[in-house]
Amino acid sequence: MDDNKRDDSFSTEKNKELTTLKETIKEQVLNELREKYGNGFKKDELEKIASRILEDYVEIKDKVLLDYIREEERKKEREKKEKPAEEEKEEFFIRFGLNFRLQHMLLFTSCIVLILTGIPEKFYFTSPAAFFINLVGGMKTITLIHRIGAAGLVCMFLYHCLIYTPFTRQGRSDFIELLPRWKDVTDVIQMIKYFFGKTDEKPKFGRFSYIEKFDYWAVYWGCIIMIGSGFLMWFEVESINLFGKVIVDICKEAHSDEGLLCTLAILIWHFYNVHFNPRVFPMSWVWWNGKISKEDMIEEHPLEYEKIMMKRNKAVKKNE
Amino acid sequence: MKNRKNNRKDLLSLKFISLFIFFIFLSLSVYAQPDDTKCLVCHGKKGFSNPLSTGRILNLYVDAKELRKSVHSEKSCTDCHSDVLSIPHRNEINKVNCAERCHFVGNPSGAPETVKYSEYFQSVHGQALLKGVSSAPICQDCHGSHDIYKPDNENSKVSRKNIPKTCGKCHLQEYVDFTNSVHGEAYQKGNPDVPVCTNCHGEHKILSHDNPKSTVYASHIRETCSACHEKMQIMEKYGVSTEQVETYEESFHGIANEFGIKTAANCASCHGYHNIRPSSDPKSTIYKDNIPKTCGKCHPGANINFAKGKMHINPKKKESGIVYYVAQSFKYLTISVMLALVAHIILDLRKRLKKTES
Repeated sequence: MDDNKRDDSFSTEKNKELTTLKETIKEQVLNELREKYGNGFKKDELEKIASRILEDYVEIKDKVLLDYIREEERKKEREKKEKPAEEEKEEFFIRFGLNFRLQHMLLFTSCIVLILTGIPEKFYFTSPAAFFINLVGGMKTITLIHRIGAAGLVCMFLYHCLIYTPFTRQGRSDFIELLPRWKDVTDVIQMIKYFFGKTDEKPKFGRFSYIEKFDYWAVYWGCIIMIGSGFLMWFEVESINLFGKVIVDICKEAHSDEGLLCTLAILIWHFYNVHFNPRVFPMSWVWWNGKISKEDMIEEHPLEYEKIMMKRNKAVKKNE
Repeated sequence: MKNRKNNRKDLLSLKFISLFIFFIFLSLSVYAQPDDTKCLVCHGKKGFSNPLSTGRILNLYVDAKELRKSVHSEKSCTDCHSDVLSIPHRNEINKVNCAERCHFVGNPSGAPETVKYSEYFQSVHGQALLKGVSSAPICQDCHGSHDIYKPDNENSKVSRKNIPKTCGKCHLQEYVDFTNSVHGEAYQKGNPDVPVCTNCHGEHKILSHDNPKSTVYASHIRETCSACHEKMQIMEKYGVSTEQVETYEESFHGIANEFGIKTAANCASCHGYHNIRPSSDPKSTIYKDNIPKTCGKCHPGANINFAKGKMHINPKKKESGIVYYVAQSFKYLTISVMLALVAHIILDLRKRLKKTES
């Protein structure tokens, strides 16, 4: 309300100024006309000519102004296209770098191959498994494919542990972030309280929630068990020669059981968190483009968001 | 008077007629009896024989009592030796072809009707015969000739008592291996449960071990052995575990074998077949010191460590030691982890529902 009043008073003042301006301009024009053509024209005709000139002038002025404003706008747009606007930067955060995403892709392709060929081997006595094994081309073929998948998993795991984690900045910081802390325990307790309505506050997560940490360490432990036991069974003669047959029996049991556990964890837990959860259904795209929206960031990783904003503010202050 | 005379005459003629009829019947019944007396004039003499061109002396003595005790007690010589047309017979007498005269399906002479006749011709023996192998066994080689009895008769050549000897006539090495094996030794002591040749190989339908239909083909060995080794009531008598079948089927070897990989080990690959011996026997393929050699057949470079620990392992049983505990801990780990995760998911969904409602 106040603003409108102010606007009205402001516009009336302006209008007054404009009318006085217009009149002075008109008089000047009239005077000039009288000096040059005073003898040839009557007074009222002169006034008509003056007012027409004035109208033309105003029109032209408006056009010129409009053109100028449009040109300025275009310039601004061009600049926007050339540089990503600061507003968009605020909309998305890069959660996972390309390196990490490629590792994840290699991990899940080999895992899919391993599960598809491993589970039928575990449940060989069921008819669908037998059908699938024969469909693929028999036991020899399916074990060969299983070992190709294994090679992929070994490559990914070795790269992750021996190169990515120790030798890249992101790898190091993420690994430290992923280490379990006391906070995770309290987070779980708070989450359960929240589920049962004892508190209205969800636990605030940092870069990795306990859910994601569980996923990461489950894969880590799974890889150690599966690759270790798988390797010993792959070279069974050497393993038995070194440790006796019992090592292969243990490996077979562990490999088979851990394989089932991994499969169930992926199908139930991981698929719920990244596919079936109503918040992300049908799929979270973080694995593909690494981006997370500001909304999700504040929702899921508020502590990390705060950290990032603090850093930015510091950087802005430094620049100033 | 007249009437009386007439009556007497009539009676006499009646007597004659009835006598005549009686004699006819008598002679008929004599005819019905196989008349082997003519044959036995020569063949009933002990030592009656004929030197062959090959140098072998062909014994031509026939013990008539034997034939009378056999399943063919009602048959005469010429029923089978149909090529004997006159006495003395100068021509070469052929071996009797049982299948030609009586032993075929739909025969009119009352010989047992079974598929065994055709099975024989499909078998490795019958096929060899059809190919013209002279040493191929024919019916008489296993069943005997004049001394054929039902298999449940101890005197039969194909009775449980005589089968190994009968087969051993040609398969001598196998006979020796068998009689020294754990099965053979028990068999010689009169054990009724151990297998003899026919239990594994079949009788008429004996096929080569590389024929996919054979009971001793790589993929069928497990069924053949488990026919006895799965049966609790047989195995508990001798303290042999019936688990060996199940544990084999769950092992790498068993699974690969089931999916038709013939190079995967079956029972016989490790335990042998005719020469199966207990692991305590130094001659056994599964004796501690022989294990590297036995495993090395497929796993080159196997050393003595292959003999350490149990071979047949059942992870569900405590006797398996460490494997059992690994299996158990994984079982409970999986159950508890899955329960926790599923509970978390359900609680999460429930909370979301409540939120959207409010």
